[in-house]
Amino acid sequence: MSELGDVPLTPTEASDLRWYQKAVFYEVGVRGFYDSNDDGFGDLKGLTQKLDYVEWLGVDCLWLLPFFSSPLRDGGYDIADFFTILPEFGDLGDAVTLLEEAHRRGIRVVADLVVNHTSDAHPWFQESRLDRVNPKHDWYVWSDDDQQYQDARIIFVDTETSNWAWDPQRQQYYWHRFFSHQPDLNYDNEEVQVAMIDVVKFWLDIGLDGFRVDAVPYLFEREGTNCENLPETHDYLKRLRKEVDASFPGRVLLAEANQWPGDVVEYFGQGDEFHMCFHFPIMPRMFMSVRREQRYPITEIVSQTPEIPDGCQWGMFLRNHDELTLEMVTDEERDYMYAEYAKDPRMRRNVGISRRLMPLVENDRRVAELLHALLFSMPGSPVLYYGDEIGMGDNIYLGDRDGVRTPMQWTPDRNGGFSRADFARLYLPPLMDPVYGYQAVNVEAGMRDPSSMLHWMKRMLEVRKQHPVFGTGSIEFLSVDNPSVLAYVRCDGETGDTILCVNNLSRFAQPAELPMQTFDGLTPIELLGRVPFPKIGELPYFVTLGPYQFYWFQLVEHQGGQER
Amino acid sequence: MSDFDLTAIAELLPEYLGKQRWFSGNAPKRVDIEEDEQLAERLLWMLVDADGKRYQLLVGAAPTTAVPDFLHGHDAAILGVAGDWLLFDGLLDADLARAVLERVAPGEEVRHVRPMGAEQSNTSLVCDERLVLKVFRRVHDGANPDIEVTTALGDAGFAHVAAPTAVWERDDRHLAVVQPFLTGATDGWALALTSLRDAYGSDCDDVSECGGDFAAEARRLGEVTAGMHLALADAFGTQTGDLGKWVGVMHRQLERIGAERPWREQVAQAFHRFAALPPGPALRVHGDYHLGQVVRTDTGWYVLDFEGEPNRPLDERRIPSSPLKDVSGMLRSLHYAAEIALRERDDVDLERLAPIAAAWEERNRKAFLRGYLGTPGVDALLPGGIGSDETMQALRAWELDKAVYEVGYEVGHRPDWVAIPESAVQRILEVS
Repeated sequence: MSELGDVPLTPTEASDLRWYQKAVFYEVGVRGFYDSNDDGFGDLKGLTQKLDYVEWLGVDCLWLLPFFSSPLRDGGYDIADFFTILPEFGDLGDAVTLLEEAHRRGIRVVADLVVNHTSDAHPWFQESRLDRVNPKHDWYVWSDDDQQYQDARIIFVDTETSNWAWDPQRQQYYWHRFFSHQPDLNYDNEEVQVAMIDVVKFWLDIGLDGFRVDAVPYLFEREGTNCENLPETHDYLKRLRKEVDASFPGRVLLAEANQWPGDVVEYFGQGDEFHMCFHFPIMPRMFMSVRREQRYPITEIVSQTPEIPDGCQWGMFLRNHDELTLEMVTDEERDYMYAEYAKDPRMRRNVGISRRLMPLVENDRRVAELLHALLFSMPGSPVLYYGDEIGMGDNIYLGDRDGVRTPMQWTPDRNGGFSRADFARLYLPPLMDPVYGYQAVNVEAGMRDPSSMLHWMKRMLEVRKQHPVFGTGSIEFLSVDNPSVLAYVRCDGETGDTILCVNNLSRFAQPAELPMQTFDGLTPIELLGRVPFPKIGELPYFVTLGPYQFYWFQLVEHQGGQER
Repeated sequence: MSDFDLTAIAELLPEYLGKQRWFSGNAPKRVDIEEDEQLAERLLWMLVDADGKRYQLLVGAAPTTAVPDFLHGHDAAILGVAGDWLLFDGLLDADLARAVLERVAPGEEVRHVRPMGAEQSNTSLVCDERLVLKVFRRVHDGANPDIEVTTALGDAGFAHVAAPTAVWERDDRHLAVVQPFLTGATDGWALALTSLRDAYGSDCDDVSECGGDFAAEARRLGEVTAGMHLALADAFGTQTGDLGKWVGVMHRQLERIGAERPWREQVAQAFHRFAALPPGPALRVHGDYHLGQVVRTDTGWYVLDFEGEPNRPLDERRIPSSPLKDVSGMLRSLHYAAEIALRERDDVDLERLAPIAAAWEERNRKAFLRGYLGTPGVDALLPGGIGSDETMQALRAWELDKAVYEVGYEVGHRPDWVAIPESAVQRILEVS
């Protein structure tokens, strides 16, 4: 317990410093969750008021999209001041209240932080661009020409033509890996390194449980390289981790490094860099597996995923606030994904697809449930995107990536219960179409209907929570002759908890013979209903699966029956 | 038990052999035990001569008072009773199977053994999901072609075969082999049918837009096939093809099978035209190449079973041929897959689905050929280089020959399906 009062600074106990390995994360844009002051903008107070819902749903940790001061030219990822809250969201006091109220409910909170760059409106940049001699003159990467680092790819190919932009004030080019209004910080400067550590400590002091650190591979630039994943970058991140661990044990650093798994694992270091990294390539492949009705897109990428150091964890997600990222698939797969999931060109952004889960699976709840079952049972900590638990849709006609950032749909009332502001004042219009609109899809309806997707999700999270093996257990794939069936066994080496997961990726019913001789004599208990299935014998274990059906079985020594 | 009663066993053998799937023909008239050795406490190894054909037997024994559970439902695997002992196929007994493995690969310790779907000429056991113990039932003199080829391909650096890790050999005869188990593998046939069922079950008319599109797999399969041929050329060398001999075999088969068929004359002419083409190189080929002989794993396609056509003598299976023989085998297999998946459906659907079947085959044919012909170096193995008229004409001749073979096979085995290769013959003739 903290000495500050009866609210602990963080729910993390010394015995549970690795909570993030078993946690379910819930990604929320403050802007879109709940508006407490009727200005059309979601805010921190609004989020605090909705914590009861978050607790009811059963998630362990909120992940907040950036809430710092920002001109909002990149959804808040263009930070204009690391120490103040975006005024529309509230103030520092609101942030502290949110943290206290969340912690009181046992919910942790992590937040987005961009360390690679700032907004061009940030005072650091404003000072740096003044001239070539000011105290912050080399806090950013300046150059007289735009010819350096030509091997670095351009990430936002839809809007940017170069990684250099001309600044008429300083009469020099500055380096930017993302939008030209987001200059990259110069990490070769020790002052910048220290300044960013101060930012991190400031927020952890207030009680934040960690950060999801955006765009980490690009901190340093070196000629003759692609300027990604450089050793200098890793060195700095390790320094950051050391500082965090020393003063704030149990807080978590989560990396966004959209790279191949073999490169991403570098960001775990020897367990001394990031606690967690997102597993990007597996996500599009889950979708692909279901469309192709065969498991190889998934098993292929898992077999290419290296072991991670002790104490680390993958972050797994189906959808998030960004597009369905296709950077980490082959060209041929990308063509395929475009053809399958983005028939309308407006759905494509950069090299991805901007859709929410339900429209991506053509509103087929069976597929949505199957994908969640995969998400919850594959190794890693799942991240849910707000609204996906009720089956929200998207609006592809809104610009940029706003299509998947529309207001949370709470009720069938005005503005979906998100805000009492005039409709015209809302930061984005809520969905109103007959299929996904708030009158059809909302939290209130989902809570009332016991067979809703929302209740299903809550039940799944409950079951998952009862079995830490889903977070930390080993995984072994079973060799099944039927290519449409993906089966694996999760096993906890310490408790012995063993769970068999069987998934039918096809829209047709499928049979599967599972080689289960290793588990001869055990009884599979279906986890959602606790129904015992026939005992496993020496022969292959035979199961039939309906379209897109999955089973989670706990394998136990079962006595069964009433005899004693 | 100390000794097996060979006299008693010899009496049980003819009836037992007649019941085995891996034994060709009915119960033999005469079975002689040529060699025997007790491999373990309750396990007898034998080499027997059954009407002139040599087979390997592994006989297990259990007291008649304690019939093992694993024999339940496996009546055909029981030889009978000799004294107080029940005799049965020893490979069904996990303990005895482990004893066999110990003999083939000394020091290899495994816990779990399971059968892997019976095959015609051998029996395979999966050990701890990591190794496959393949025991040959029919035993030939000389090297087994599968072991010979997969070992050579492995040595040549071709990664898409399960190269042997241990071989049991006795008097120059291969008796058993241990290979790595290809975890998570499914065969190409199952994968193609998955794709086809999706295509037939979709509303989309354009197969390239169906979710279960197979073209990427087909292309990669083409690449692996080309890699296999390059490695085979590397390992066994190449020579100029004996076109006269190839065409002669084609004509003889045509006379045998197509004599009564309306297309006989046209096919014969096509073979004559083929005889005028440059032969291109001849090399050791797979020989019996189709979707059932390739498996998809997490690390791509693997090629299985280099035994060649099992009904032909070993020497003949080793004769170098054109790599186009394998290519044509796979192309024919794609056609079969499309047609057989079509026959799973209701008759009412057929009119609507036939064009989809044709489009699926066309798309995957092209993808396979693109993968094959696009592989660097493969042009050196073809009669006229990549995509040249000579190569495409030669390919059609090989396909025609395969389709004629299939007509003969279907007439004898599945008369309802004769229409499949018949339609292929017609189609190829129209193109030529």
